Amino acid sequence: MNSPPSIFTVAENIVKEIGGTILFFVQIIKTFVKTPCKREEVFEQVWKVTIQSMPTTAMSGFFVGAIMTVQFTMQMKEFGALGYLGGLATSGTIREVGPLLIAFMLSGKVGAFTSAELGTMKVTEQIDAIRCLGADPIKDIILPRFLGIIISSFFLLTAGLLMSILGGMLMGQVIAGVNAEEYIRHIPTIVSLPSIGSGIIKCFSFAMVLAMVCTYKGYATTGGAKGVGLSVVKTAVSTMICIVIIDWLTSFLGEIALHIVIS
Amino acid sequence: MIEFKNIIKSFGERTILKGLSFKINEGEILFILGTSGTGKSVLLKNLVGLMQPDSGEIWIDGEEVSRFTELQYMSIRKKCGMVFQQPALFDSLSVFENVAFGLRRHFDFSEEVIVQKVTRALNLVGLVGIEQKRTSEISYGMQKRVSLARTIAIEPKILLFDEPTTGLDPVTTQAINKLILDLSRTLKTTSVVVSHDMQCALEIADRIIVLDQGNIVESGDVEKLKKSQIPLVKDFLSEALSLIQEKNL
Repeated sequence: MNSPPSIFTVAENIVKEIGGTILFFVQIIKTFVKTPCKREEVFEQVWKVTIQSMPTTAMSGFFVGAIMTVQFTMQMKEFGALGYLGGLATSGTIREVGPLLIAFMLSGKVGAFTSAELGTMKVTEQIDAIRCLGADPIKDIILPRFLGIIISSFFLLTAGLLMSILGGMLMGQVIAGVNAEEYIRHIPTIVSLPSIGSGIIKCFSFAMVLAMVCTYKGYATTGGAKGVGLSVVKTAVSTMICIVIIDWLTSFLGEIALHIVIS
Repeated sequence: MIEFKNIIKSFGERTILKGLSFKINEGEILFILGTSGTGKSVLLKNLVGLMQPDSGEIWIDGEEVSRFTELQYMSIRKKCGMVFQQPALFDSLSVFENVAFGLRRHFDFSEEVIVQKVTRALNLVGLVGIEQKRTSEISYGMQKRVSLARTIAIEPKILLFDEPTTGLDPVTTQAINKLILDLSRTLKTTSVVVSHDMQCALEIADRIIVLDQGNIVESGDVEKLKKSQIPLVKDFLSEALSLIQEKNL
């Protein structure tokens, strides 16, 4: 039986993976600047990713809105401030839960799919064939997928948030007796521009990390079908960890930035 | 025309190619034989720049190419068409678009010329009327032929075959071998075939190199190999000859 790897080996592998991902990202950016890919290819990917993830994102958005409303209802009732229910639930969703949820959705569906697709292309020598036939796989295969994931995350965020408002509104009506007009009335006053900005920044940061990780893991796949499976698992685990870390980082930096602006 | 000089290639601590040196003459069909994991495919990938050797030189038409950049390699890849071990066709494209892929990327041909060249390439490999099919709709043997058509469509001077008959039934294997021979003679190309199929080598090779653990253990024409006393070569030969005898019975 093989002995478990030492902590140094694990640390070395993690550093190698991070380094590899960053170098790959630099390569993508260089290609983007020098020889951008065709717009139609990016649109195709945006369409594919958006359509693929829209039903699950919308459904999850709906229930997240409903959950947030249930949680806030208990507290708002105590203070007799149920009129602010819609504003608070929506603010929490936009700032934190919405982007995180969409990132997890994209990670599970698009991240795993992209990684498996690229991994299969790699182990079946399609990537090598592309290079031999005079094309650049980074430009023709990776870049459209990379941009597709980032751009579609915006559409998915919008759809997820709209559905969360709908879910929250229905739940507000059912459990707190807050009608739709009342629920929506305080959204513009409580959901501030920095909240929206924070949500959008988070969403794009998560999408960027996801696009980086899943394309890299797919492109670096070796070892046949087993290797593809391993890449998909690694993509799922790495993206989840990265997303949580980036979430903490953006929240932390966002708070600091807010304090600086206020003071 | 092609020369490998003292090529060394390692993966981690494992050295796959241990200082290989040999020449490939213009117009010949060279077979590189060896058991799995002896670095045959690695050798081909070094030739077309899909990998770079750790040290040594690769000369193609008087140019040392082993340190070429990806961009510089484009001109080499126009000369050296590679047929991969797996068909490596693009699932999202039709047979026609697969064969036209290299023509569109390497050259600036009009659509009319591309149609002519694709049709000719498909005719040469014996496939007619499947241009609009998806690659998933055709058999594995046909996919191999399409892959071959995609490579010869760009009319390379050098054809590289990586295990061209692996995973094929005996009839299709025979057909692919005949195709390699016919194409090499018709198109007057230099062909390098990496394989562990001695039977195929005996039938069509002009010269054979046998690799074992990253070293050349035998090299020469078919007659020379038949007289070889190297155990690995003798093993390969006895296996191939018994298969030929079985076929003749």
